[in-house]
Amino acid sequence: MSAQPSTPVTIIVGEGTCGIAAGAKDVFETFRDMAPETEIKTVGCVGMCHEEVMVEIFDDEGGSYLYGKVDKKSIPAILKFHRGEGALPGDHLIRSSVQPDGAEYLTRQTRIALRNVGRLDPKSLEEYRERGGYRSIEKILTDGISPEEVIGEIKTAGLRGRGGAGFPTAVKWSFARSAKGDEKYLICNGDEGDPGAFMDRSLLEGDPHSVLEGMLIAAYAIGASFGYAYIRAEYPLAVEHFGKAIQDARIAGFLGKNILGHAFDFDVKIKQGAGAFVCGEETALIASVEGNRGMPRIRPPFPAVRGLFGKPTIINNVETLANLAWIIEKGGAAYAGIGTGESKGTKVFALAGTIKRGGLVEVPMGMTIREVLYDIGGGPSTGRPIKAVQLGGPSGGCIPESLFDTPIEYEALNATGAIMGSGGMVVMDTRSCMVDIARYFLEFTQIESCGKCTFCRIGTLRMKELLTRICGGEGTMDDIDMLENVAHQVKSSSLCGLGQTAPNPVLTTLKYFRDEYVAHVEEKRCPAGVCKGLITHTIMKDRCTGCSICDRYCPVDAITGVVKQPGSWVIDQELCINCGMCVEVCNFDAIRVQ
Amino acid sequence: MEQSSLEATVDKVLVQKWIAEIGSDAPAAVPLLQAVQNEYGYLPREAMNIIVSETDISASQLFGVATFYSQFRLDPVGRFIIKVCHGTACHVSGADRINTALRQSLGIKDEKEDTARNGSYTIEDVACIGCCSLAPVMLIGDETFGNLKGADAQRSLKKHARQHGEFLPGHEEKRSEADAPEKKSPGKKKKEML
Repeated sequence: MSAQPSTPVTIIVGEGTCGIAAGAKDVFETFRDMAPETEIKTVGCVGMCHEEVMVEIFDDEGGSYLYGKVDKKSIPAILKFHRGEGALPGDHLIRSSVQPDGAEYLTRQTRIALRNVGRLDPKSLEEYRERGGYRSIEKILTDGISPEEVIGEIKTAGLRGRGGAGFPTAVKWSFARSAKGDEKYLICNGDEGDPGAFMDRSLLEGDPHSVLEGMLIAAYAIGASFGYAYIRAEYPLAVEHFGKAIQDARIAGFLGKNILGHAFDFDVKIKQGAGAFVCGEETALIASVEGNRGMPRIRPPFPAVRGLFGKPTIINNVETLANLAWIIEKGGAAYAGIGTGESKGTKVFALAGTIKRGGLVEVPMGMTIREVLYDIGGGPSTGRPIKAVQLGGPSGGCIPESLFDTPIEYEALNATGAIMGSGGMVVMDTRSCMVDIARYFLEFTQIESCGKCTFCRIGTLRMKELLTRICGGEGTMDDIDMLENVAHQVKSSSLCGLGQTAPNPVLTTLKYFRDEYVAHVEEKRCPAGVCKGLITHTIMKDRCTGCSICDRYCPVDAITGVVKQPGSWVIDQELCINCGMCVEVCNFDAIRVQ
Repeated sequence: MEQSSLEATVDKVLVQKWIAEIGSDAPAAVPLLQAVQNEYGYLPREAMNIIVSETDISASQLFGVATFYSQFRLDPVGRFIIKVCHGTACHVSGADRINTALRQSLGIKDEKEDTARNGSYTIEDVACIGCCSLAPVMLIGDETFGNLKGADAQRSLKKHARQHGEFLPGHEEKRSEADAPEKKSPGKKKKEML
């Protein structure tokens, strides 16, 4: 294709956290310097993190060109093309209006929660309005739709909580609606603690008004007049953008007293989380907002009846809230038309790990894991086959390749031993050790266990100790049995969701990858070559050139030899800590890991 | 150099200003501690004492909260904080090696320590900063670095140090070439054969 573009009028640079990390600020400034005549805007993250920095250029005839992996150096070529002076920078073009295909990453998705992310300036209320924003809350208020009718619409939609457990949103709301008391609270849970999930960050950064409108709809439905947005302090850009959204919405009359002239009051305050995974649990989150250690308590009473400051409280996840305005606008039936029997609508996943096209993807429920990994994600990035996918983070589990045809549905995923979770999807190839992954998650949950109940406090520690022993080559077959036994006890006897799900990474890896555990114990071997206690690094004399680079990078000075004498270089096994720096820097693949 | 020299001098008026702005009831505990840590990089004992004596927050609540959340730290920090992400994606793509490489550059040998002796940088492990597709990732100050290998992390740190007038201890004498590794021998560090 060689269609000439016409004059560029708008250049859009993706400036989410990941875009900025990849150098978006530099790109933005370079465009401003080199194309001062053109309007340059920033948007949130498009979700194609593997293509960052992303730039979209619109010309004056409505044509659009989406470029990926843009850096300072590639900008002159892109501008030349758009000024009719050069060839199409094909390496960077992902999709254009002239050449619309070749972007399966986006076409296989169904974007409802993410409908605006990457398409508008998150700091502009006007742009959100232009894309139909705040129309749903207007419709509810001006048409006099009752709270019960709103709850009914969400019930028709079949929306379930996107934070992990999948409890039906309408049912939860009706508890709070019917709870006695004139003071009720709504909390937006943006304490995205699952290491490996970042959709809440992306939504709060990239489309804060849709989350805010979702809060308005939820507050109206349950009868709350005040809300908190609990956002991780680790997400400074999300806090900034959401704060700006609150301010602008207040000025525009969407927050405050008598919203849009109707008898509905609602306002929102941001609470920054201080880093505690357990605060994803509702009662712990409430304790945290109240200013205490984030420790859960026994339910019932459920927060919907007795929550924040003792008042009925509803806690909804960011992604759940981002769906609401769409559902009210298009109707619950339209939402329920997407998905399968018990799992309606879409789910956002954060695709990461050894995958070609990582990023945020929103897919209709019912799509299989394999379709997500291969059709959207493009398969493995390393050339080695994908061995497993970790779903649901520390509360979830590892699903093996043999089960990749499992559809994405709450019940079907639970049956594998993993969970839907908040949507972390970390892809692992044959170089990932499943025992190490289990140890990694247990280390995480053990630190994050609040310590209130014994099973979780002691149980996670014992599991971590057993796993560390197995990874170190000191485990016995009895340890594996003991591990399984403790895992079942912690699962059945812990107080809250953290403890009840903490054994999942252990139980799923034991179920699907038991042979790896046995190899660690019986053969003292880590099949993936990961566990430091079971591997050795040696220099292959026939490949070594004696360049000494490994010596310079070795942190423990374990490598010795004479420069330019290949045969002389050796690694002192007593000193070596198996960190892998030498493998990383060697230009001749001369380090053997066994 | 002793670590204690990193202790911050607390400005009482500033702490009182935060109390006036944020509040002095129980729910103010977390935001107050966040304000203190934003200013000093950690929670100096003196600032905690001021909060306890001038608000309704008890010492047990305040210290309970300070020790519960991973964001808060009670020890002084270096002039810059390096946050190394240890989320799942970063873990499987080699986040541990980033720590090893950075500790090497900063000359931090004792496993219990996390701050360079000259008070320049503190290494902190964080759960997940949500840039999983760029794994492994680290932050130096507010700047994010992604798709790192151990050697890249060292290079980025070295560049950052140069830009901010910091010295990298242990790097000075013998590893200055780490900035631009060449295959050619630097010729200045030959070791005896075994």
